[in-house]
Amino acid sequence: MSEQALPQAMVAAPPRQRAAIPFGVMLAISWLVFMVGVALLADVIRPYGITTMDLRARLQPPIGFGGDWLHPLGTDELGRDVFSRLVESIRMSLLIAFGATIIAAVFGTTMGFLAAHFRGWVEQAVLMLIDFQASMPFLILALSVLAFFGNSLPLFICLMGLYGWERHARISRGLAIAANAQGYAAAVRQLGAQPMRIYMKHVLPNIASTLIVAATLSFPEVVLLESGLSFLGLGVQPPMTSLGNMVGYGREYITRAPWILLSPSVVIVLTTLSVSILGDWLRDRLDPTLT
Amino acid sequence: MSLLSLDGVSRVYATRRGLFGRPVPVRAVDHVSFSVAPGRTLGIVGESGCGKSTTGRVALGIERPSEGHVMFEGAPMPAPGTPGWRHMRARLQLVHQDPLGAMDRRLTVAAQVEEPLEIHGIGDKTERRDRVAALLRDVGLRADLAQRHPHELSGGQRQRAVLARALATDPALLVADEPVSALDVSIQAQVINMLTDLQEARGIAMLFISHDLKVVRQISHEVAVMYLGRVVEQGDPEAIFADPLHPYSRALVSAIPVPGPRRIERVVLTGDPPNPADRPSGCAFHPRCPVAVAACAQVVPELRHAADGRLVACHLVPEASLLKAA
Amino acid sequence: MLRFVATRLGRALLTITLVVTFAFIVLRLSGDPALIIMSPDAPPEALAAFREAWGLDEPIWLQYLKYFTAILQGELGQSFRDGRPAIELVAERIPATLMLTLPALALKVGLGIPAGMYAALHRNSMTDRVVMTFAVAGFTVPSFVLGLLLVLVFAVQLGWLPSGGQDGWRSVILPVIAMGLGGAGVLARFTRSAMLEVLGQPYIRTASAKGVPWGLVVRGHALPNAAIPTVTVVGFMVGSLMAGAVVVESVFSWPGVGRLMVVAVANRDLAVVQCILLLVSATMVTSNLIVDLLYGVLDPRLRGTAPAGGGH
Repeated sequence: MSEQALPQAMVAAPPRQRAAIPFGVMLAISWLVFMVGVALLADVIRPYGITTMDLRARLQPPIGFGGDWLHPLGTDELGRDVFSRLVESIRMSLLIAFGATIIAAVFGTTMGFLAAHFRGWVEQAVLMLIDFQASMPFLILALSVLAFFGNSLPLFICLMGLYGWERHARISRGLAIAANAQGYAAAVRQLGAQPMRIYMKHVLPNIASTLIVAATLSFPEVVLLESGLSFLGLGVQPPMTSLGNMVGYGREYITRAPWILLSPSVVIVLTTLSVSILGDWLRDRLDPTLT
Repeated sequence: MSLLSLDGVSRVYATRRGLFGRPVPVRAVDHVSFSVAPGRTLGIVGESGCGKSTTGRVALGIERPSEGHVMFEGAPMPAPGTPGWRHMRARLQLVHQDPLGAMDRRLTVAAQVEEPLEIHGIGDKTERRDRVAALLRDVGLRADLAQRHPHELSGGQRQRAVLARALATDPALLVADEPVSALDVSIQAQVINMLTDLQEARGIAMLFISHDLKVVRQISHEVAVMYLGRVVEQGDPEAIFADPLHPYSRALVSAIPVPGPRRIERVVLTGDPPNPADRPSGCAFHPRCPVAVAACAQVVPELRHAADGRLVACHLVPEASLLKAA
Repeated sequence: MLRFVATRLGRALLTITLVVTFAFIVLRLSGDPALIIMSPDAPPEALAAFREAWGLDEPIWLQYLKYFTAILQGELGQSFRDGRPAIELVAERIPATLMLTLPALALKVGLGIPAGMYAALHRNSMTDRVVMTFAVAGFTVPSFVLGLLLVLVFAVQLGWLPSGGQDGWRSVILPVIAMGLGGAGVLARFTRSAMLEVLGQPYIRTASAKGVPWGLVVRGHALPNAAIPTVTVVGFMVGSLMAGAVVVESVFSWPGVGRLMVVAVANRDLAVVQCILLLVSATMVTSNLIVDLLYGVLDPRLRGTAPAGGGH
């Protein structure tokens, strides 16, 4: 007993609309690709080591302001090449930002799923943690932890990773509860699937787009947070260098050699701007009512 | 030997009025007993809120009964979420009202129909693929639809896909909770016919839950009418439809639109629809019953055998103590 | 209504308790509290007295209780560096910080909200785009970069304003701008979308169709409804004020609580850090509470009692 056979054309799905990517978003994506490229190829691009000092060439201005091609972005007070340090800083800051965002996403999503799956007191505990995290300015919390535990890079990355987990937790909990209540998750559970399978194979892929958008919100905020802390001297410690770090050092020489802090500042602003633009566009594209 | 049997099953929810009110127990299902024989269909009808969906869920083991027992294939139903319960899913399945919600919109129909086979480890890759193709044929879905996504199908096609998925592990019992309520009338008929054909071919027992009497009549070998969590009448469908004994069944049956002169006078119920949180005393139907007497407000009527073997829970229907049980 | 206030108050107290607990846990985890709160070279008798006072040899829940009561009494330990009670050190810097944070808040609200509303009312006009561009710049440019740029332009190049220190009314200008401009941008963006959402509602069209002058529609209908989410965001900004103060005070060498925090963290002067942490959380919780209560006042929908009837 088969259905009425409808003409093939009527049954075929409508072609997907391919919207053109706006110019601004293209620029943002290009900048980000450029940044990632620089970070990956840092060792190859960098003409000098980050601690290589050239004491005869201290505080040299960049190209166009009296400097030469030997040090295209100038040098700092110890004769270290600003360009090389910038490249290395980009790698460090991006590494921290990616690492932290991924940690926050994984931790937050897991907590959200745990809360949605077990309900009861587990959920209440998670909600309380979320409220606690959301009610304190993270910078103050981070400063406290750094004061108590000192500073080492792995600890620092984990600390940054705690930023924004509550956003992911809220989202994944809400969406998992909605999926669990009725719908595909309940149906698959009814088929006899283990909870792990339900979450990994069904719930997670379906909420991935929303989580990605949330991650693009956290990413620039982590960059700003890390650079702020490094600027204060409490983040990435020397001899390692990061964007905020460089701005912090450059502050001393703001009158004599402003280029030291300007290049990392520009990179910070452009990077956070690009990710924000990309995130906004993704959010519009992946709007839940459309997918 | 019955396949599924419920014995004195009740399901009570604890709810609260407002934030600081006393907890109020809500009896969604109240002392329901019935059994389903292999290869036969039991239809359950009633209004929204009468507890039929909850009964279906308890029968499947998705919820634990607060009182009573559920036995499936001679063994007690394991607690939900346990490995035993999960294994049993291969033997009984659920189809419910919203096929779009029941499917993952990211996966193809074929992948989803195959999923139960994956979960229960049935067959290898090629065997599973063949089985999926056979299932799709059985439910009347064209093979090229298998690679589509659920939102690209029509409502009727989706429901067939859900059905194919439910049948993948060759279950002994299928619980269908309003499976055709969201479909157009013409498609309803097709799907109902398909269900009866499948039942004949595979010998599947069915628990068919619906508020739509016409549909239930077509497909059931036995019908139970529920009101506020209790079964008020149970028996042969044709008998109940031709001559409903319980006043509530009378009202339901009389509301079915029929062409030509009516056989049964239209009974219009007065009063508010039932609220399980606020059960009337005695017979739950008495506030709306056109023929209620004083006893109805005081004593809860038990299910007793009536003249032709039916079970009826009404003080006004004489018990046939001389006839044997149907 | 009473229930509403009670639950909010309860939640506020719970959060403060959590923060104190957090501080307690972190303090215990990071080493011997006696050595930490007092300095490592305090005389052994002082350490022993401290241990006794804080009950460090007693079961952990008793320690927690004592810790809690000590905090309530304002006993927060002494600073490493100059031995004065931490709470004194912090308290004397609060006025300096307020001198920056309050004008900054005023700037955020006074600039951000009107800008956002104007942008919403003149959607897609040139002004709208300009406002939005500035707004985006507001949250992508970190406050320390903004601060340094301001110093570079106004102090170094133009020499109009001092580059740091607390020194007369002129020295307030740049720090306040650095702290407030970013938040003004965020608030402008938020107000704009809140306004746009309200303006798109059917009741606005109805009022306008009834012949009510547009200005009155905006003032009487749009603004009060857009105010509700805006108030919430402003409340949250109080928290970020503190975080902003930390950074900006360092950029401008401003002797406030923020700067003290940075110095204390660098020196691991934990008594001071703990004190500031508790101060900030108390401020945040209070402001959240006020926002919650204000929310209840502004939004009549929240004021009603919960409807009777069981759950689903």
